[in-house]
Amino acid sequence: MLDSILLLIMLSLFLGTGVWLFFIWAVKKGEFDDIEGPKYRMLDDDDETRNRPTDADGDAP
Amino acid sequence: MTESAFVCEHCQLPIAAEQLVSDRVDDQVHHFCCRGCLGAFRIISGAGLERFYRQRDWDRPGTAEGAFETGFHPELLEQLVQRGEQGNELTFLIEGIRCASCVWLNEKILQDLAGVLEARINYGSHRARVRFDPQQTTPSEIFTRISRLGYRPRPLTAQALQDAGLRERRSLLIRFGTAAFLSMQLMGYSLALYAGYFQGIEPGARKLIQYFAAGVTTPVVFYAGWPFLSGGWRSLRNRAPNMDLLITLGVLTAYFYSLLMLGTGGEVYFDSAAMIVTLILLGRLLESAARRQASASIDRLLQLTPDRATRLDPDGKRELVETGTLQPGDLILVGPGERFAADGALAEGNTEVDESIVTGEPQPVHRAAGDRIISGSLNITTSVRLRITQPANESFIAKVARLVEQAQARRAPVQAVADRVSAWFVPAIMALAGSTFGFWLWRDVSTSSAVLNAISVLVVACPCALGLATPTAILVATGTAAKAGILFRGGDILEQTARLSVIAFDKTGTLTEGRPTVTGISSRDMTADELLAIAARIESGTRHPIATGVLREAERRGIAVPPQSGVKTFPGRGLRLELPTEIILAGQADFLRAAWVEVPDRESNDAIEIHLASNQTYLGSIRLEDRLRPEAAAALEALHADNYRTCLMTGDPSAVGRQIADRLAIREFASGLNPEQKANWLDEQQSRGERVMMVGDGINDAPALAAADVGCAMAGGTDIALETSDIILTRPDLGKLAEAVHLARKTLVIIKQNLFWAFSYNLLAIPLAASGRLAPVYAAAAMAVSSVCVVGNSLRLARAAKTNRTGQAATKGADHA
Repeated sequence: MLDSILLLIMLSLFLGTGVWLFFIWAVKKGEFDDIEGPKYRMLDDDDETRNRPTDADGDAP
Repeated sequence: MTESAFVCEHCQLPIAAEQLVSDRVDDQVHHFCCRGCLGAFRIISGAGLERFYRQRDWDRPGTAEGAFETGFHPELLEQLVQRGEQGNELTFLIEGIRCASCVWLNEKILQDLAGVLEARINYGSHRARVRFDPQQTTPSEIFTRISRLGYRPRPLTAQALQDAGLRERRSLLIRFGTAAFLSMQLMGYSLALYAGYFQGIEPGARKLIQYFAAGVTTPVVFYAGWPFLSGGWRSLRNRAPNMDLLITLGVLTAYFYSLLMLGTGGEVYFDSAAMIVTLILLGRLLESAARRQASASIDRLLQLTPDRATRLDPDGKRELVETGTLQPGDLILVGPGERFAADGALAEGNTEVDESIVTGEPQPVHRAAGDRIISGSLNITTSVRLRITQPANESFIAKVARLVEQAQARRAPVQAVADRVSAWFVPAIMALAGSTFGFWLWRDVSTSSAVLNAISVLVVACPCALGLATPTAILVATGTAAKAGILFRGGDILEQTARLSVIAFDKTGTLTEGRPTVTGISSRDMTADELLAIAARIESGTRHPIATGVLREAERRGIAVPPQSGVKTFPGRGLRLELPTEIILAGQADFLRAAWVEVPDRESNDAIEIHLASNQTYLGSIRLEDRLRPEAAAALEALHADNYRTCLMTGDPSAVGRQIADRLAIREFASGLNPEQKANWLDEQQSRGERVMMVGDGINDAPALAAADVGCAMAGGTDIALETSDIILTRPDLGKLAEAVHLARKTLVIIKQNLFWAFSYNLLAIPLAASGRLAPVYAAAAMAVSSVCVVGNSLRLARAAKTNRTGQAATKGADHA
């Protein structure tokens, strides 16, 4: 009984810590600096532009 | 369809006929106002981003000033680059962004550029961060790319300051995230412990869970709660008890008592400690987000004066220098469409200057050699040389900024009231807890139950509901207001707005539309339309606000305006067009009289009037007027109905203001005021005990906006006006003002209800706790229930505002479509 409680608590702490570290990484990366933009960006991103060059060669004719 | 009826497909400005540029793009003819716009259209359609044109939601047409001009100084830009492992980074501001589609377009177009690894633009601050490969592209290439779209990239100054703000926000977010994560774990343990308390639990399991609870609570209290702990400690050292101290006290007592109980085998209350910290951090986080949203324009307004100027050295060499290095006596070159970087006198040439950001008046003024020029104003007609008279940090703009700063520093935060309350509340509760402990010890019960009763007093008196009473109401109100296009810069503003007694208005751009519109045409020997056609023809080549007003009227009446070249401009006076058969003059009466045209004397009624003559024959005149906003009357009526005193203040010395005041039933009126006098007038009112709101835009209002108890800026106002104001209306709609005042009043009522509720809860629960009838577990539960009540009451604000706004829902929906 005690062992299983300990195991479960450790497991949840372990998982939680992982998520927490991910969160801190995201904050440091600036992921939350703009909280207004993504809701619009989401609407814009769903269909990719027609003839967007693959990556290099940017200048359109 | 006539040529002049076209609207530029890129920038949406009406096209003056002689400037029309038409071209075939993708087998379709498109029309533009200039080659720059054509180029932008080609880039956008070439990249397959035409969606931008369908989706954009601009509140005004036109491209950013100074867009399409290439020529960024590569060395200056190189200095801004931050070198990194994964490519170099460039951070800058993009001027001219007006909607989410603009952000999208700029990001896409930058990502398409070879060598750009990542491009992100912040929706709120319009700040772009571009990571690029220095082997493949350069900063000036990136700048040029944006400039070609009709936006204007600008290097950021004051970068370090903003970085500090960003770090602070991130640290708060991390503290909250940590507290929330650990509290969630803790909640699981607490649930088990509570269940065990009621139904029995194996002692070993209980101990284990309690140790884990202590383990997760410790960082919440000492890391996440550090801002409160240090604040509480500081207040203790300064002998000025505040809410931070109360929070600290509640948190630390719960924490250390629980630690004690961990040793002696009693119940623990780690959850109280952790939840208090988490909830209050959440409140601060949301508040800072709202505050930031309200001050998104801070970056942009700092850029009001250009940070670079073209200096002419004595040997005739041109040099691009930082504005800050300009000295009195230096000569700078300022082209048309550029802003003056510093105060000075015109050394050569004459031009028209748009001083609207400085004076608030939309009519450009004529400036000749020797005339004084104010920094930040816009040079319209020709390229001129300016002799600097003041170093940049002594310029008009800098002085206004300092005035504003002083006014802001003077303002005492409303938080002081809460602190005053806690100044006696905190010691009183501490004393009460102490005497409870003493009393029960004297009654000879066990020490542990005496401590328990004392802790019940502290926990039940914990400022949770009291602390939530104001912030939640303010949060809901600011959130609701923001959705309606009203931005309150902080909660104290809401409270101050609710207590106003006087509302003062600026005239131009606030009560009026801020752009001249044709109101009357009187012609001799021809129809009004014919006269207007002549006027439109001669005015079509200029971008003067009066010309724009005339052209707009011609367009409205469906008059064709053929392109016209060879018009000569006499800045500030009029226009002259010489044709083989006739000479047409348009302008002020004096301008025509100087050409020996007989102009009838008419009583000046203070409207703007342009006269026309052909070959010495007087043709007639067109009157223009800066019209009242259509919703002004209704909004003022609503404010009068709520018993506010209203006042009109204007820098314009003419009698137009008086007419407007009469029409809107504004009883008090003052004209010809300079910025300082406006602020003084407000000071005087305040010394008489009035609480004053100032509504305005334009730099000349900035000191008044800051001096007022509440400053309210209309959208479309200058950035500095937005920055110094407390309330910002994102749509130029005076109806919103009445709505804002109404909402603020309602919020104050809710706050009072909340405080009453929280206090009576305490009054009821504290005696119970002191008498030993309330175990700490129940005390904590009671505290939670009172918090829920308070939050629920605050949420009513959102609904109240919603029902208030049903009428506007339809128009709002259309805006978003």
